[in-house]
Amino acid sequence: MMLRSLFLLPVAMILAWAVAAPARAQKADAPAAGAAPATFVDLREQPVVAGNAQAGAGKAAVCAACHGAKGVAIAPNFPNLAGQSATYLYVQLKEFKQGERSDPVMTGQAAPLSDDDMRDLASYYASLPLKPSGHADANSRGAQLYLAGDPAQGIPPCQGCHGSTALGPQPYRSGAPQPPWVTFPRLRGQSALYVTKQLGDYKSGARAGSSNTQVMLGVAQTLSDDDVQVVSVYLDAL
Amino acid sequence: MRMIKPVSLAVLLYVAAVCVGSPAIAGDSSDTMRVGDMQYGNGLDPRGWTPMMMTDPDGMSWLHAGMLRTPSGALYPYPNSAGEKAAAGSDWSHWGLLQLGYLHAGGDSNAEFFRQYSDWKNGAVLGLFALGFDNRKTGSYVEFRASRISGDDQYYRLRAGRYGSYKVEAFYRDMPHVVSTDSYPIWNGVGTSNLTLPAGLTPGGSTVAAVQAASRNAPRRNVGLVRTREGLSIEGTLYRNWIGYASVTNEKRNGDRLWGGPMFFNFAFPDTGSAYGGNGGVMETVRPIDFSTTDVNLGLRNVGKVWHFNAVYTGSFFRDHKSYLDYQNPFLITNVVGLPNAGPVTNGEFSLEPDNDYHNLRLELSRELKWRGELSLAAAYGTMRQNDNLLPPINCTGNLGFSGGPFQQIIPCADWNTPAALSETSSHARIDTGLFDAKITFHPSNAFGWHADLRYYKEDNKTRYLAYNPITGQYGYISENGSQGSVVPGEVGIFDTGYYSTSNVQIANVPFGYTDTLFELGGDWNIGPKNTLNLVYTFDHNEPKHRERTRLDEQRVKLSWINKSLGNATLRGSIEYGDRTGGPYNSDPYAQFYSESLPGYVPANGIAPTAFTVDAMRKYDMSDRKETKARLILLYPLGLSSTVSGTFYGTRDQYDAQLGRQNTSTTGFTGEWDWQPSPTTNGSVYIGVESTHLTLANVADNEALIDLPGSQDPSFGGPLYPLENYWQDLDSERDYNAGINFSHDFGQVRLDLSWNYTQSLSKLNYNYASPGALTHPEVVPLLGDDAFPNNHYRTSTFDVGLSFPVAQNVGVRLFGRYQSGSFLDWHYLGFDDTLSYDHRIYTDEGPQMHYRASLIGAMLTLKL
Repeated sequence: MMLRSLFLLPVAMILAWAVAAPARAQKADAPAAGAAPATFVDLREQPVVAGNAQAGAGKAAVCAACHGAKGVAIAPNFPNLAGQSATYLYVQLKEFKQGERSDPVMTGQAAPLSDDDMRDLASYYASLPLKPSGHADANSRGAQLYLAGDPAQGIPPCQGCHGSTALGPQPYRSGAPQPPWVTFPRLRGQSALYVTKQLGDYKSGARAGSSNTQVMLGVAQTLSDDDVQVVSVYLDAL
Repeated sequence: MRMIKPVSLAVLLYVAAVCVGSPAIAGDSSDTMRVGDMQYGNGLDPRGWTPMMMTDPDGMSWLHAGMLRTPSGALYPYPNSAGEKAAAGSDWSHWGLLQLGYLHAGGDSNAEFFRQYSDWKNGAVLGLFALGFDNRKTGSYVEFRASRISGDDQYYRLRAGRYGSYKVEAFYRDMPHVVSTDSYPIWNGVGTSNLTLPAGLTPGGSTVAAVQAASRNAPRRNVGLVRTREGLSIEGTLYRNWIGYASVTNEKRNGDRLWGGPMFFNFAFPDTGSAYGGNGGVMETVRPIDFSTTDVNLGLRNVGKVWHFNAVYTGSFFRDHKSYLDYQNPFLITNVVGLPNAGPVTNGEFSLEPDNDYHNLRLELSRELKWRGELSLAAAYGTMRQNDNLLPPINCTGNLGFSGGPFQQIIPCADWNTPAALSETSSHARIDTGLFDAKITFHPSNAFGWHADLRYYKEDNKTRYLAYNPITGQYGYISENGSQGSVVPGEVGIFDTGYYSTSNVQIANVPFGYTDTLFELGGDWNIGPKNTLNLVYTFDHNEPKHRERTRLDEQRVKLSWINKSLGNATLRGSIEYGDRTGGPYNSDPYAQFYSESLPGYVPANGIAPTAFTVDAMRKYDMSDRKETKARLILLYPLGLSSTVSGTFYGTRDQYDAQLGRQNTSTTGFTGEWDWQPSPTTNGSVYIGVESTHLTLANVADNEALIDLPGSQDPSFGGPLYPLENYWQDLDSERDYNAGINFSHDFGQVRLDLSWNYTQSLSKLNYNYASPGALTHPEVVPLLGDDAFPNNHYRTSTFDVGLSFPVAQNVGVRLFGRYQSGSFLDWHYLGFDDTLSYDHRIYTDEGPQMHYRASLIGAMLTLKL
């Protein structure tokens, strides 16, 4: 009786493993497949995106109306796309298309795009030169928050994920599981108006469709309106 | 006998190695009480939190999908999902779970090892009731937990507080402890202080057959106790950085346990064929347990930026509500000189544990220093006091002993059965302790740090009790309620300048105590990024009072090494060597506490008192000793979601002792594979093996020489301790444990499987120089292989659980446990046939040699 019971254990384990395997596979594929609209996208295992920048240039005519011919926005309420991470841009287009992120203009613009279109457009804008540097005040409260945070208020330094020069993260070498660095945006030179709006959306939950927004939700909760303002101004001038 | 065959075990391990992983052990570590219970759980759920441990499907972090590891490479467990529900328009949220169900125990469910710490019963149980409220704005919280298997196996706990401000806790719990489920005490009144013989037995005069019949007819009963603990604690900020804390815990232990009942030796008096058997008496009785212990803790601490301060008072108050155990003796006690005894020895008596108090006040002060240094000072004063009323030496009436010719050994009970027979009516026992500890540490660079520690501790025993009877003017204590004095001339246990002038008996307590001074110096070196060395030297100087040595010095060196150059593996190794020496060894430092030190003592036959013990004897805590310890721990991350770890360890102790403990050794290995591929799946496999050995030697005294020339000679090889009476034994034990755990959440159904196995094998080999070393030399022809029969203990437990929802917030959990075990201890051999042998009566038949028990249950789970 005892031995029989013991042999049931490995049999049951094998069965459990067999049944569990499809479930695991389905979950891993889900974010990449993107066939069905979802309200949330897990970016933690997002691979680097590559596309045809040349082809993207041919598809960017409509985009230029707001984001500028060279990827530098025509008005401060639009983000600059030049030199941005291609993966970040691709993910945002996809979120607009799938509904995890919504915007009166972009939701409609992204709807007809194919996956290749999104990859090509992302690669194109990533290949464009950055907006020229400004003259940010390195001693400002905004610079302090961006570079060092404010431990007393629980504010983490922005540079941890966005890079010390706001040109993207600088991953450290480690065997530990890595954040999806390529999905973090470069913030250098983004307009104060745009950054303020986005931080507000994170804080209010209006922009909450991905695992990255869950990170930013926690960060934004620690920022006061003044903090948001000074960080936005710093990045604008950077 | 069923055994887990090695092949079966190997198959299990192999299969498990392919497909299972570790459970995410994430206990309820939200707090630690300063007094009270750290862990709440029971046999149904030892963790006490398992139904709440639903891993968060979102994993550990939004920043990365994988699992992080500790600095040494072990996987952190997946976090649990709190499942909190927020109330609209309120800062409060709540979580909760109610699990109610039915248990059924089957098979040999009364087996001692199955129900040792669990009161399994068929019927309804409260698996878990947990309810918590959290305020995200203020940080306030309230939490309640409860579980109930039976009235003797339950717990309830309430916690409340505000993070960073205060916390309070109140708890109540009952914990069963079954000592035996196979006991057959012959006495009436089990569980009380008075054990009386049943009808058919005559105190001090029953036949052996009548005692055997009483044993056969005694009903089977359980022996055990229940611990009931309740407590209250509070901690909070009083002013700025000043935090105060207080707690009180009370534990009651109620029940009974197996106990002794001596009426002098029986082995020395073989049955002569009389209906009344041999002589003396050895009884296994049952004593009451009726204790309460109250612990009090009061403290005040300040955690500043530079200075840290802590003051704490600890008090413990033990009360035994049963001060004695009286038991009636069924056996006829006769003297060896053939005289009629003045009266039968009908009663025995134990004085049970006295009430006692403990107080300790400890002050700690530390200050940060330059070079990342810290100075820590600690001082403590403690006192342990016991002043309970003392019992008279005997409780008989009339006279005991015998009288005739030169043997005038009458014991008038009235002279000894009253507190007036004591030098003091209470003991005034007191031990004071003092401690001072100064430690300094520095880390002047990342590559180097050092520390030094000086510690002084003193235990001052102020107890001075003289065993003197002012009624009779005699010293000493009537041994074993007068039984010994009713058998052997002169051996009453007392001294006077008349008839007992040659008795060398203990007349005063030995106020053992010591002072200990310890110095430690250590350093850490980071040799590059992948190697760390640590070296610690310790010198311990001990001055015992009234012991065989007045000085003990021990030097220890420990070298530790951490290496991370083997890929992702972490290797930790340490080796330690200790050398203990001391002053001259005096095998008998106790003469001043014996009547030989009193005026009027007359050596029997003009010979000095019989040697206290052999001079070559070295008590294990006093002898020179060389000790070596080694440990190697390897932790290897296997892929992203599993970890393999192994620990090899060993200890070798070599004592400089011709007689006494000579050497001990321990060698062991533990191995584990943990696997956490996702929040919904985990498993683990573990195995542990340990082998221990102990060798000790002694020499039997030459009983024929007592009080004759040569009996005063303590020398090994002398007439009292001849070399041919030398013997040695080797105690060997091997312990194994292994287990496999697996759980997986299929989405709608969660499966939990586990198998745990424990085995212990022990063997006692012996050798002896000649039959003279044995108490019964005549049994030599029966001694075959110079070893006692092997003992073993083995349990195998298989658990399976299935949980699934039946409606929103309603689930069902089905589970089963199958446990089998076997037990063999040669001390219990033959007890299946009888518990009564001549003048020996035993009560416990011993744990079941084989048992198979099961437990099945169904629980309804409601998420609140």
